[in-house]
Parts: sequence; structure tokens; C-alpha cells
Amino acid sequence: MSDLDQMRKGTTHLLILKLLSDAGEPLHGYEIIRRLEGASDGSFRFKEGLIYPALHRLEQDGLLKSSWQELGASRRRKVYALTEKGQQRLRQELLRWREFSQHVNRLLGLEEAAA
Amino acid sequence: MSGASAPDGAFDRLLEQARAQLDLDADVERELLEELRGHLEESYSAARARGLSAEQALGEAGRRMGLPEAGQALQATHAGRGAADGVLAAAVPVVGTLVLRWLVLPQGDLAHLHQVLARPEFWVLALAALMLPLIRIRHWRFALASWAFFWALSLAYLIQRVVAR
Repeated sequence: MSDLDQMRKGTTHLLILKLLSDAGEPLHGYEIIRRLEGASDGSFRFKEGLIYPALHRLEQDGLLKSSWQELGASRRRKVYALTEKGQQRLRQELLRWREFSQHVNRLLGLEEAAA
Repeated sequence: MSGASAPDGAFDRLLEQARAQLDLDADVERELLEELRGHLEESYSAARARGLSAEQALGEAGRRMGLPEAGQALQATHAGRGAADGVLAAAVPVVGTLVLRWLVLPQGDLAHLHQVLARPEFWVLALAALMLPLIRIRHWRFALASWAFFWALSLAYLIQRVVAR
């Protein structure tokens, strides 16, 4: 796994929480992938099936809740929405991320460019 | 989306790559595969809408999904949780049955049985013990098995005491 892949993996949960918070409506896994790719100009790309373990882990932690959306007589799809606990965690993680990235930027001499 | 239909069994064959990695409760596996199938259908339809042939669209949907890796990761995500549910499901009716047994035969004999049967808490507990396995939890079959086992033990014990008298 490359360094970039590891960075993506480390931020996947945070990005999912942020995306669902901004969406303001429940989304299914395929739509989440498409929006992540779109918002990152295609740089956030990984094996799409791996979004589901991430979603399920967040649900097990109580940060997301899921429900089945009926699409007709024989089809349905699972959609995910942020819980109140998820909103709180997102706020905490954004603060931590801002602090962390400022420290890294300072160490790398990128502080002015990032600002 | 999902307008274009794939050849018969095409998604099943793709999903087999994920299914081979799973060893979970049947209901959990069914839901996981249903969710993955929905994603494959969306991805396939999008590829077809871009002009790819059915075969190309299936190949692309499968590659993008990474089904073996997804199956492994889903197994890791759900495996421990299922075991914990199973232990809980098996433990709850055992505890309920033991409490009930203690209420039915507090001195280990049938002398006070008629008094016990007149106590409302006995019937509340009995009803709860009977209903527990019907609660919809992931591994309810474990609960049902342990519930049946301990009730059979209690009945056997009662019959033996009656016969002995």
C-alpha cells in the first residue's frame, strides 16, 4: 500500500461523515463514492467495495444509521445518514484534523501556502 | 439509474468472489450481498450508459468493486460482533431459566409449588423467558437452542421428582 493510499484510508471515515453531514439527506454507498470522487476531482479513488466495511464500522459505532429504501416491488437499497453522535464526532475530528494539519504544514514549511 | 439489465446470473457470479470470503450469520450475509449487488447494478448501468458493451460493463463494475477485498473487510468488520451477539443471545435465556427455576423450586422440592404459582412475578418471568428467543436479534437461533435445552432439563427434573414421589 502506497503512502497516499494509507493517507486516504486514514481519512475515509472523516470524509464520509463530512459528506453525509453536507448532503443533509441519506445516501447509499454508490452515491457516496461518486460524490467523494467528484469532490476530489477523481483523486480520492479506491476499491469501491471497501466503502461498505467503513460504513458498517461507523454504523456499529453509532455514528451513522441505516435504513432500506424501497425502489419498486423487488429492489431496495440501503442508505446511510449521520446520527447526532456522528455530528458531534465530526466536529471533534475536524478540530483535530485542523490542528494536526497545521502542525504538519509547519514542519514541512508549507504553513503560508496552506493559509 | 439501473435501467440496463445484465445477463442472467452475471451479478451472482461476481458476488461469489465476496461470498467466498464470508462466514457470518445467514441473514447478515444476505443483507451484505444485497447491498453489494445494488452497487454493482448501479455501476453496471452507468458503464452501459457510457456506451460499454454488457461484457465490458460487467468487467469494469467487478474491477472497481474489488469484491474479494470487500468480502474480507466485511468479514473482519462483522465477525467479532456476531460472536458477541451469539454469546449474549445464548446467555440471556439461560439466566432467565435459572431465575425461574429458583422461583419454582426454592427449596429444591415441589412442596411450595402451589404458593409459587400464585405469585404474579413468577408468571411475568415465565412469560419473559418464553418470549426472549422470539426477540429479533442477530443470533436468535442460539437463544432458541439454549432456551429449549434448559427448559427440557427443567421439565425432565420436574418429571423425575413427580415420579420419585
